[in-house]
Amino acid sequence: MALGDLEREVMTQLWDAPEPLTVRQVFEALSRDRDLAYTTVMTVLDRLAKKGVVVQQKADRAYRYTPAQTREEMTASVMLDALRTTEDQDAALAYFVGQLPPDALAAAIEAAKKR
Amino acid sequence: MTALLLGALGLTLSLVVPGILAHADWPDRAPAAAVLLWQAITLTGVLCALGVVLAAPEELTRTSGQPVAAAALVAALLIAAVIVLRLLWSLYGVTRRSRARRAKHRMLVDLLDRVEHREELGVDNLRVLQGALPLAYCVPGREARVVLSDGVLKVLNRPEVDAVLAHEQTHLRHRHEVVMESFTAFYRAVPRPLRSRAPLDAVHLLLEMAADDAASRLAGPAPLRAALERLGDAVPLAEDAAPDPTGDARRRRLARLATPHHRSVALNAVVTAAALGLLVLPTVILVVPWLDVALDTFPL
Repeated sequence: MALGDLEREVMTQLWDAPEPLTVRQVFEALSRDRDLAYTTVMTVLDRLAKKGVVVQQKADRAYRYTPAQTREEMTASVMLDALRTTEDQDAALAYFVGQLPPDALAAAIEAAKKR
Repeated sequence: MTALLLGALGLTLSLVVPGILAHADWPDRAPAAAVLLWQAITLTGVLCALGVVLAAPEELTRTSGQPVAAAALVAALLIAAVIVLRLLWSLYGVTRRSRARRAKHRMLVDLLDRVEHREELGVDNLRVLQGALPLAYCVPGREARVVLSDGVLKVLNRPEVDAVLAHEQTHLRHRHEVVMESFTAFYRAVPRPLRSRAPLDAVHLLLEMAADDAASRLAGPAPLRAALERLGDAVPLAEDAAPDPTGDARRRRLARLATPHHRSVALNAVVTAAALGLLVLPTVILVVPWLDVALDTFPL
């Protein structure tokens, strides 16, 4: 299984969990339907923490992991980044219908979240 | 004389021609060739500036004594080097910032991807974001991604989604981001009072049209047109916001997809030839004779 897929599934586990999870909890949830090493899960969580998308907390002598943002928050910030007009204009990303002014965009994202 | 002619050509290319070309209608019928022409105009403009810098001091001091001519030559070489370095530095900065932004963006869309929404589309580099705001774009680079939001999949039917995907994949396959990066770098390298957004904006729209052409060949003009209309309308605030940054561009893209589209081979050939001629002719007609004379009297 590709590392990218595993990272995504670990994130999904953390997002769906009501509270921070230990490596063991993530490992057990993911290894239910596949062959997976405990250390692999540990490595993946460590990588995600280094990327800043996961926060590591120490509680009861065990590390627990929680997403830095909810899925909705992270999606909104990706969309904002995607449509943000920067000094470099359209060099970084290419859009299908073009960009919005920032105010309109923020309002549109708010509207989209409520729907 | 060489410096004067090169200067006149350079000023025409950077001040007069862009305004005319940006308002012309024919580039809509040959967008790819028109992009090539914009590239030739910009590059020739730079070459003219360099030519003026190098030729003017030499022509002015040709009859003066040896030390004056040598000093003029050194100064000319220095100014030319500054121009070239400024352009390269700007390109480096734009490329570096764009890559960093893309890498971060790619990392996040990979994590947020809702695989279950895209399985039936069967596109490897596609990522789907959860959210009703209709959004379609691509993240270029070595590991390129096409990103759609749930909203797009809800608003568009399958042929329309395929048209949008074909459009984005064309951007990626033809490396349109490299063209945009170079024009952005040029725009930023020109000192503020002289810079103009005309080439940047025109090339941006032409690249969209080139991607539209490829998508319309693959998926048909009707689905692409419908996708453009729906996605534009689905973002309700876009039209209210003033000044609307995309309204006119979208109208032009829709208009050319509406009329039965026949690729004009002749127009493409003429524009391509003009672009190449623009790059080659000034060099041959002006610079080669000047080099002939200048090298004879080389002071160093």
